[in-house]
Amino acid sequence: MNIKKFTYLVSVSLCLLTSCDMEAPSKSSLDESLIFSTPSLAEAAVMGIHVSFGETNSYRGRFLPYYGINSDVEWINGMSTTTNDDAKYSLTGYAASPTNTLMNDATNAWAKFYEGIERANLAIRGLRTYGNVSTNSELAQLLGEALTLRAVVYLDLVKAWGDVPARFEPVTSETTYVPRSDRDIIYKQLLADLLEAENLVPWPNASKVTSSVERVNKAFVKSLRARIALYAGGYSQRKDGIRLSTDPELSREKMYAIAKQECEDVINQNVCKLGSFEDNFRRLCLEKTDAGQESIWEIPFAAGRGRVLYTFGVKHQAADQYTQQAQGGVNGPLPYLYYDYDVQDVRRDITCVPYEWSKANPSKQQLRSLKNWCFGKLRYEWMTRIVTSTNDDGINWQYMRLADVYLMAAEAINELEGPANAAKYMKPILDRALPADKVTAYMTKATANKSAFFDAIVEQRGLEFAGECLRKADLIRWNLLKTKLDEAKAKMLRLATHTGEYADLPIKLYYKTGSNGESLVIYGLNHGDTDSAGAILGYSSNTDWIKADGSSLPQELIDALYQNNPDEHQYWPIWKTFIDSSNGTLTND
Amino acid sequence: MKNMCATLLVLLAVFTSLSVSAQNVTVKGTVKDKTGEAIIGASVVQKGKAGNGSITDIEGNFSINSIPGDATLIISYVGMKSQEVPLKGKKMVDVILEEDAQALEEVVVIGYGTVKRKDITGSVSSVNSDQIAAVPVASATEAITGKMAGVQITTTEGSPDAEMKIRVRGGGSITQSNEPLFIVDGFPVSSISDIATSDIESIDVLKDASSTAIYGSRGANGVILVTTKSGKQGKFSVNYNSYYSWKTLAKKMDVLSPKDYVKWQYELAALKSSTDLTSYTDFYGNYSDIDMYNNVPSNDWQDLTFGRTGHTFNQSLSINGGSDKIRYAFNYSHVNEKAIMEQSSFKRDNFSLKLNSNPTKKLAVDFSVRYSNTDINGGGANDTKSTYDSDKRLKYSVIYTPIPLRNLTTDSGNSDDELGNLYDPLVSISDNAREQNRKQLNMAGSVTWEVIDNLKVRAELGLDDYHFTDQRFWGLTTYLIKNEPAVENQGKPAAQFVNTAQKTFRSTNTVNYDFKKLLGENHHLNLMAGHEYIIIKQITQTDMIHGFPTWFTAENAWSLSTQGVPYSINKYLNPDDKLLSLFGRANYDYQSKYLVSATFRADASSKFSSKNRWGYFPSAAVAWRISSEPFMEKTKNWLDDLKLRFSYGTAGNNNIPPGQLTQPFEPKTTAWVNGFGNYWAASKTMANPDLKWETTVTRNVGVDFTLLGGRLNGSVEGYINTTKDLLILYPTQGTGYDNQYRNMGKTENKGIEATLNWTAINTKNVELSFSGNIGFNKNKIKSLGIMNDFGADSRWASSEIGYDYWVSVGGSVGQMIGYRSDGRYEVSDFEDYNGKTWTLKKGVTDSSPAVGTLRPGVMKLKDIQGNDNIVNRDEKEIIGDANPLHTGGFSINGRLYGFDLSANFNWSYGNDIYNANKIEFTQTGKYQYRNMIDIMADGKRWTNLNADGTICNDPAQLAAMNANTTMWSPLTDRMIFTDWAVEDGSFLRLNTLTLGYTIPSSLLQKVKITSLRFYVTGYNLFCLTSYSGYDPEVSTIRNTNLTPGVDYSAYPKSRQFVVGVNLNF
Repeated sequence: MNIKKFTYLVSVSLCLLTSCDMEAPSKSSLDESLIFSTPSLAEAAVMGIHVSFGETNSYRGRFLPYYGINSDVEWINGMSTTTNDDAKYSLTGYAASPTNTLMNDATNAWAKFYEGIERANLAIRGLRTYGNVSTNSELAQLLGEALTLRAVVYLDLVKAWGDVPARFEPVTSETTYVPRSDRDIIYKQLLADLLEAENLVPWPNASKVTSSVERVNKAFVKSLRARIALYAGGYSQRKDGIRLSTDPELSREKMYAIAKQECEDVINQNVCKLGSFEDNFRRLCLEKTDAGQESIWEIPFAAGRGRVLYTFGVKHQAADQYTQQAQGGVNGPLPYLYYDYDVQDVRRDITCVPYEWSKANPSKQQLRSLKNWCFGKLRYEWMTRIVTSTNDDGINWQYMRLADVYLMAAEAINELEGPANAAKYMKPILDRALPADKVTAYMTKATANKSAFFDAIVEQRGLEFAGECLRKADLIRWNLLKTKLDEAKAKMLRLATHTGEYADLPIKLYYKTGSNGESLVIYGLNHGDTDSAGAILGYSSNTDWIKADGSSLPQELIDALYQNNPDEHQYWPIWKTFIDSSNGTLTND
Repeated sequence: MKNMCATLLVLLAVFTSLSVSAQNVTVKGTVKDKTGEAIIGASVVQKGKAGNGSITDIEGNFSINSIPGDATLIISYVGMKSQEVPLKGKKMVDVILEEDAQALEEVVVIGYGTVKRKDITGSVSSVNSDQIAAVPVASATEAITGKMAGVQITTTEGSPDAEMKIRVRGGGSITQSNEPLFIVDGFPVSSISDIATSDIESIDVLKDASSTAIYGSRGANGVILVTTKSGKQGKFSVNYNSYYSWKTLAKKMDVLSPKDYVKWQYELAALKSSTDLTSYTDFYGNYSDIDMYNNVPSNDWQDLTFGRTGHTFNQSLSINGGSDKIRYAFNYSHVNEKAIMEQSSFKRDNFSLKLNSNPTKKLAVDFSVRYSNTDINGGGANDTKSTYDSDKRLKYSVIYTPIPLRNLTTDSGNSDDELGNLYDPLVSISDNAREQNRKQLNMAGSVTWEVIDNLKVRAELGLDDYHFTDQRFWGLTTYLIKNEPAVENQGKPAAQFVNTAQKTFRSTNTVNYDFKKLLGENHHLNLMAGHEYIIIKQITQTDMIHGFPTWFTAENAWSLSTQGVPYSINKYLNPDDKLLSLFGRANYDYQSKYLVSATFRADASSKFSSKNRWGYFPSAAVAWRISSEPFMEKTKNWLDDLKLRFSYGTAGNNNIPPGQLTQPFEPKTTAWVNGFGNYWAASKTMANPDLKWETTVTRNVGVDFTLLGGRLNGSVEGYINTTKDLLILYPTQGTGYDNQYRNMGKTENKGIEATLNWTAINTKNVELSFSGNIGFNKNKIKSLGIMNDFGADSRWASSEIGYDYWVSVGGSVGQMIGYRSDGRYEVSDFEDYNGKTWTLKKGVTDSSPAVGTLRPGVMKLKDIQGNDNIVNRDEKEIIGDANPLHTGGFSINGRLYGFDLSANFNWSYGNDIYNANKIEFTQTGKYQYRNMIDIMADGKRWTNLNADGTICNDPAQLAAMNANTTMWSPLTDRMIFTDWAVEDGSFLRLNTLTLGYTIPSSLLQKVKITSLRFYVTGYNLFCLTSYSGYDPEVSTIRNTNLTPGVDYSAYPKSRQFVVGVNLNF
């Protein structure tokens, strides 16, 4: 009997030995054939791309706060002129080194952008293989969305780093390491991808999905394609200096034609509308994402993610009646910008804010200083939700709005056909900003000739989009980066020394707290205001705003706008950690 | 398993009822030892008929009623040499047993078998039950600390369940765990911390590949074999051990007095803004009233947090015995500890039963079951593996304000919580509450059948069922609840429940043939072959719940989970981990003089694809017993044994998570994207279908010696281990994935070890012995594949410091990288003060990129590159190494009549500690209102403060004010890691000191007690070290393997006193 038992045990063991299946498949996972043929699953896979946008050091904490800064309208506030800090000031001052301590990190935007691209590549391959996009509109939307999100990331990669590795297929062991490829190759792929995507996604409000600007719609695909065409047809710094593309497929004419076509398609479709300038930003702060207004597409940061208002909002010194998060004011407009707006331009007081909220609860507005303005397009006080997170505010990043489409159309048509045909797309932007008589005068001057109109485009894009980080890339494609930064420095110097076009401004500001107990009433910010008039207003306080000795806006600070020649440093270097781990395929040469 | 049990029960029933028949005479006698002391419980049996026998009584007497007059008696007793006495008609037999010749005959467990220590050809260190029993410790790992050469054990913190880091000869992996393989009674387990020490018979550590190769795939980092106690034939005993201990905090940091604290806060506020002093006045009042802080009482937060006296109550009961047919061992043990930190406690119950039966002469059936249940309460060492740096909060017991401050809220002094704001230490403990429970049930059975003489076939089946529940709570002060939940649930408590269930099944079959005498007297050959199959299935369920009502405590959240909002419910099924192995071993010796052993193992792991699945691990070893050579005849009178051995072999490693071959889509949860709570994505780790086995080649040479009749013995060994095809979690940032497991790179560990045991005196009433060991190990990275180096970041200061460890070819894991301190800027370093800023003199190094705005007193760094007189943020070099030059331990054991004394020391020499505490406790970074330790006391630190409360910018006056200060000003822009914070971590610790008294057995005989011992033990009585932190044995940041030796906000160590009793029936 014992023998028998033993034999039984041995045979059990031998059975185990012979029938052992050594494969161990994953269990808590799904195969891509199922995911990409099922709309709800495929949608969640495409949304994974946005998670890469939201990673700590991705769009959320690095790219959005630092890429567009410094330009001739935007800078990072409080640059130190004495500490030689190789972090944010060199990053924004055209002097970033590959070891930049803010960026040289394995979780940086560079890595997370490629993570998003890989997720997009997997989704595109999966949807093309398993998703019946020709008959299933839900899956078609998702393919179009994945193509578009991939284009968004690539465009930003090229904007920030120039030539970058092109990965349009999921990584394999052969493609783990790839060198930089020419940006022209990437631009052409993006233009083709978006042309495909146009036919996959509906116009805003034409489907349930596109009723929200947090999802990709046809208007966004087209306007993004226009933006890419303008960059592709514009100047940029290449190995052999600043020049246009030599690729005939990316000739200026072809690119302007694409921009014209796409922008006119969007405008003529009439599915988005220009509301008031202020309303657009109030809606952004109120987190109203219904499509059909000015906003075309936004990065959909959830309420607990993103540092948009945190970086670009009006500063709150402490948790108060409007926010539990004491942030804002990290970046701001250049000090002269406010004074360059027409005093009646409605965009001025929304874009440039000279105050912050005091360190008290309830808090009230208090003056900042000439060198330390806040952007005002985003304000905690415009939100209905109270921000509670200590690090994130949850405001979406408005990636594209209709005003941009109008001005892109105007720019392209001016280049192709001249100012007469282009004027109709600039005027609506001015109409909502200025009184009618001033619009007429401006348009007369602008339509004098092609170059005058171009100058007007350059000026209006600055006034319209300050604080939205479009400026730096615009200046680069116009080959005006250093010219305009130098112009800005000269303006700041004249402002600081109370000379030139700023000589008429009062020295002091006169101010008091308004009847609501929190708003500041300020006199002295307008051209035409005078100290003598200010002094007799009887306001409770006054302060030297533009000190005669120039100390309100020191020369060192003005000089810190750029540390290196920006035309020779249009791009960030690839950070050392990525060079090191690239198996020798990437360099900064 | 069911069949196994049935078999066992049937066999029990059949064979215990067998009775003995046919008798001739009655034999009586006594058994004594050399000193004339009666031996109680010695076994006296008839040779060839083990069922017929007796056990000696309390006076050493025995009596056997029916035995043939010509029979032979076998008298045996543990620790004594067995004797055979032919009766030859005698009816009275008095026997004197001699003690076993020390260690030489000791049996060592070597994996799928045992071997006598003298016949060992590889490198094996052992600790036996006597050594373990001598000192009361809670875990097996503690029991071997400092006792084995080449086995470095670091207790990473002072919490009751602190991770004990075990390294056998350094460890070859870079990113992967270097933990050795743990085998308990043949069964591989993930940890040995839940085994009761009273249940341990021996612990053997296999160190070289010739020993570990039998474990093939998983032996590369050494193998720790734990053998639990089995019943002993003919000896029934009951053991009761109990102890009670008191624990107190071993060391405290001195902090600033309230007055000094307030004074510094004033200077800090004034330095930050000379015009806006509200950051001071809002909290402390006017500077002119600072005198009111002169004699105010202060809170000693360290005392409030860690100051309570901990208690441990530990008791164990074991029952042991058996006949020649069946032996049994039962053990129950219970530990209950209240630790020194508030809300920290530990409880464990162990139960084990082991049955060994021999139903026939040719058959052995063994069965064992072990159960342990462990509760750990308190979040003491929370988050050493988390990205939420701010939750490492034990630091608040030092830096929290010593006096109550009106207006102080958690976000005072800093608006971002990445490093953690200022939290009441006690609140932060309850806001980070945690309860863990581990349950482990292990069952194993085996049948061994001697098919023909000396051919044994053995089949083993085992099942291990492991459940781990971990519940955590995040209260209102935690970083997580402010940032992770969806916005509507932010600022409300959160809880997490993690349930892990793991089942391991093991089937092992071996055949063993001993060519006993078949090859003649002189040749001994033993062959073993076998196969093994192990499958591990694991399911982890992680439930995260946010948004509890703000007044909820941990207890509320854990018991009322419906009151929160489910954030994620994730039941994750791991891919199965399967291992199929075939192995064999041959041991041959000629006259015990020339010994050869060869091992071969082939392993197939499901972690690799079919083309790379099998790994083959051969090894061989030879030994030469020089002392048996004729030319050594002259040394016979003093040299008992001298053996030279050499081994060469390979061992493997597949220590990566399963499921790396394909890139499946996994469901994940997010709160970052509007409208989507979950998404599908590929893992952030790139799949690698080409993965294969990592292989370690070891070469070992050793000398074993025994002198003076066994009173002096020891061994000296040297080794070179090289690991190639390193399984490494390789950074692949920029490809779309964060990392990928690869076979890349090569490391080397070289070292020398020595062990010495000396019994100076050993008589009936007096014994004095010493033993010691030392191990030198040098780790070197030979290759990192396509990379030369990469940085690692301990992240204790979030992202402020950046890389602080550097992994490079030619270096070793554990190299710290940072700035070189150059003291501070003196007034003489500056040209002038222009009313706003201080201008440096030409030629003086500008440290401002690293430290912030310069003024006299600011920390100064060295310009390492020496090219531009500027210290840039990346201007760092290697400034420390966490690897010790050598580690070891020694013990002294003495006995005088009934008293026994044992002292165990362990040490580490030459390792550096990254004292992150010291940085944070002396620098402000971006924070206000924090207290500091007294190296920054007034009079020591640089001061900028005039008596009138203004900041001094007068060069001459500043210089005069600081003529006697030595430290820089604590004000810095961020946390700065310089070589000043790298400290020598060498230490020598008196780990335990025990004094015991055994009541003379003559007094106990009447109450039927075999032995009774009382003892007192002191733990951690002193620690000689120059290290300034809490304790030099520390390693807090264990998220990766790459950042050893950081001392940051660790649970401090305690000093402990124990009284206990050992009772033996």
